[in-house]
Amino acid sequence: MEQPIQIEDEVQFLDPQRLKINRNQFAELEAELPDGSVHAPVEPIRAFPLTQPNQYITLLDAQKNELGVIEDIKLLKKADRSILAEELKKCYFMPKITKIHNVAGQFGVTEWEAETEVGSVSFDLRSRNDITALDGGRVLIRDIDGNRYEIVNYHRLDPKSVALLETQI
Amino acid sequence: MRSRGFSRRDIHRMARSAGSRTTTRRPDVEMTTLEAVPETLQNQLEDLLEGEEEIKVAISTDLRFDGTYGKDWVLATDKRLLAFNQNGAPTPDIQNIALETIDRIEIRELHGNNFMKVRTAEGAFEVARYSKRFVPKFAEAAPEIELLIDKVKPEEVDTSKRPRRYVDPRRKKVRCESCGRPIPRWSDVCPNCVEKGKLIFRLLKYAIPFWKVSVPALLIMLVIRLVDLYPPILSKSLIDDILVPATMAITGGQSVDPGAFGQLVMIVLMMVGAHVFTAVFSAVRGYMMTWVGQRITLTLRNDAFRHMSILSLDFYQQRDTGNLMSRITQDVGRLRDFIAEGLQDIIGDSMALVYMCIIMFVINWQLALWVLLPIPLIILFSFYFGHKMHKVFHILWKRYAGISTILASTIPGIRVVKAFTREKYEVDRFQEQTHMVFEGEMNAAKLWTLYQPIMTFMTYIGTVLIWFVGGNQILNGDLTLGEITLFMTYMTRFLQPVRTLAQMNRRFLRAATSAERVFEVLDTPPSVASRGDAIELPNMRGQVEFRDVFFSYDSEKNALNGISFTVNPGEMIGLVGHSGAGKSTLINLVTRFYDPNDGEILIDGHDSRDIALSSLRGQIGVVLQDPFLFEGSVADNIGYGKPGATRQEIIAAAKAANAHDFIVKFPDAYDTMVGERGVRVSGGERQRISIARAILKNPRILILDEATSSVDTETESRIQEALGRLIQGRTVFAIAHRLSTLKHSNRLVVLKEGEIDEIGTHEELIAKGGTYANLCEKQTELSKIRAW
Repeated sequence: MEQPIQIEDEVQFLDPQRLKINRNQFAELEAELPDGSVHAPVEPIRAFPLTQPNQYITLLDAQKNELGVIEDIKLLKKADRSILAEELKKCYFMPKITKIHNVAGQFGVTEWEAETEVGSVSFDLRSRNDITALDGGRVLIRDIDGNRYEIVNYHRLDPKSVALLETQI
Repeated sequence: MRSRGFSRRDIHRMARSAGSRTTTRRPDVEMTTLEAVPETLQNQLEDLLEGEEEIKVAISTDLRFDGTYGKDWVLATDKRLLAFNQNGAPTPDIQNIALETIDRIEIRELHGNNFMKVRTAEGAFEVARYSKRFVPKFAEAAPEIELLIDKVKPEEVDTSKRPRRYVDPRRKKVRCESCGRPIPRWSDVCPNCVEKGKLIFRLLKYAIPFWKVSVPALLIMLVIRLVDLYPPILSKSLIDDILVPATMAITGGQSVDPGAFGQLVMIVLMMVGAHVFTAVFSAVRGYMMTWVGQRITLTLRNDAFRHMSILSLDFYQQRDTGNLMSRITQDVGRLRDFIAEGLQDIIGDSMALVYMCIIMFVINWQLALWVLLPIPLIILFSFYFGHKMHKVFHILWKRYAGISTILASTIPGIRVVKAFTREKYEVDRFQEQTHMVFEGEMNAAKLWTLYQPIMTFMTYIGTVLIWFVGGNQILNGDLTLGEITLFMTYMTRFLQPVRTLAQMNRRFLRAATSAERVFEVLDTPPSVASRGDAIELPNMRGQVEFRDVFFSYDSEKNALNGISFTVNPGEMIGLVGHSGAGKSTLINLVTRFYDPNDGEILIDGHDSRDIALSSLRGQIGVVLQDPFLFEGSVADNIGYGKPGATRQEIIAAAKAANAHDFIVKFPDAYDTMVGERGVRVSGGERQRISIARAILKNPRILILDEATSSVDTETESRIQEALGRLIQGRTVFAIAHRLSTLKHSNRLVVLKEGEIDEIGTHEELIAKGGTYANLCEKQTELSKIRAW
């Protein structure tokens, strides 16, 4: 009698030691797979961008076909890891807010001025639904244009920022 | 080609004027692709540009390559593209790319940011990084740069690989055009730019037709408020003129004035009279104002629904049903409260305060000032407390909403919950949520239980002040006992109107928001409407011609990309393609649920936009994949498209649709109620009822959108048979994934990403061996497997 399939086998993990990640001459991401084939440009996709940003990274080729899955970028060789991390940072731009200067507006339609780790920014929200409060004080914000921001733990912000944020969530 | 741009000489001038320009709130959002270049870049430009080279495109970014916020630049002249990237160094990195080496401009869309890339023969370079805010600007700049490229390229350019970018003028605006502020998700109007006063004035217009009732009601109220103040004055004269003299007479050993009893009876009767008066007229006024309020609701509700019914589908697509329903139910109700009650309350309360102040100041202005002393304190406290309360209640409201969410997902999904034995998980989740509600309620209670004593205490301060100051005045002979009693009574009466007026602002704002939401419906023009000079087309032949039709739902992706073909009267066209290929969109344009963004659709040689909507849709029949049955009987549903259809016609249509047999088996046959609260009707039965509906309408053009995809094989053959009868002598557009459904088709149109991939008869396309032949082969294999 045949055994049911092992669903774990369905995921094609790339062997982190036999995978090579580079940048080509146009600074595009290039991957050399364990089978020796070279692909560029390669697009990394996070399977869990919010909860496990550094695990289960799918690599897609230019035709959007899956080349394989990287289980954890920690397992990669150091040079490969830093290139992939850099590319991921570029593909997923979600600055972390460190301070909220001002929130103006009513009924959730608000204009924000905030400080992030990559500079100060101002953005607009169209409704309270654009703010998602998660467990542990984590807050995700999506602005009117589709930009995203993150607050790692809003309880750790300064009291003024907390007060401003709490009027909105 | 428009001629715009500026030469090197203009740069200095422009930079200067840019500096002195009065800044709007966010000048960087302005959609210009020729921004003023800052002075810092100019010296470098001097060296880079040749004599008469003009800058045609100049756009700034808001992100740097290193992922920090900052401003980099992309410039294009008629010779080259320049990218300035400030990479932490004092002078920026400059990419200087000659236009003739560029093939096209590409946009790489990522999460939270985009890159603009330049594709040359060797590869693609990144030239700019920007946040999503600048998406429209770069989308506009890209084709402009490509136009510049085409002009310098010696050979003909292959533009086929370039995406056809199309900016839809009807695209839903996210920011106000005049002030740059965000527009709420639920609205199309900028709340900041709507003048609140105008809104309220417009609201009042709805009350004007009823002025014959509302003005007398207002006058009655003013009189009531005045009469209301009379009993304390009566008490005062009772005390001062009768009781105190009598007491003094008795303590002095003299006899009481014999007329005193008569006066006492008189005053008591007047008190009773005043109360009876206010009670009777309050009731009369209440009835009058309820009538006015309900009349306003009636008008507003009907106006809103009538207008909603003529609005086009895109209006509905951008808003969810609950949101639209609440405008007609809740918002209209809120407006009624405001027009009928709110405004009159404000007037009445203000007047009552004014009356009381006048009386008190006339009697004793010093004591009146003391009475007013705690009022600002009370107002401030109400404000502060209102704010706190609002916050607590908002949190509580969210937690209650959480309970609803859990219930709304578990009750319909109970089969899944049970099948995966997750009952405990759901119960735990629910308990957690109810516990949070409990905590929220207790937090609110903490505030509430504090509020009442503090408020009482503040009022008490006022009372004590009156006792102290007034008592002192009595001792000095400046005040009488009756007067101090009057002040006491007015002090307590002062509070209610003060509190009402303190909340006026919030009430006003809430009404203004509701008004906006209702007026948004009333003010939105239908995007698809009959023209004033629209023609009637009573006897349509059913010829449909598509001429280079473009359509996009969201301006980001074209659903139709230049469709051209002609359908002859009586011809059946099968539409084939993957989901998202544009089949349904094509049909939506034939029925004019939407109008094309570009190109035209001709029906019998007339542009469909010139034909009266009623005339056009009156001759189009639709059978959808999941047909909708209205609340009502089976007969009502079949006759929906032909008001006044005879019973015989309805039965005939049902017979033709193979529906008669199962309908007569329903408990009440044709009178059986279906819809939300009616009997359960299976998918195949619903389908046949909707076919009967279409047959009865006898349309010239028939649309079958996946009419047989959700039923079993046996039912399908019955539906096929019914459809076979229905399509006779009509122009038919049929969509089906199951290609066997399309066997009656005269021609097949294969769509692929909004374009026509193949067109021809079944035999032609099979012979061609293209996409259709491929699909057919796959489906044949599939049916073999099924058979096996």
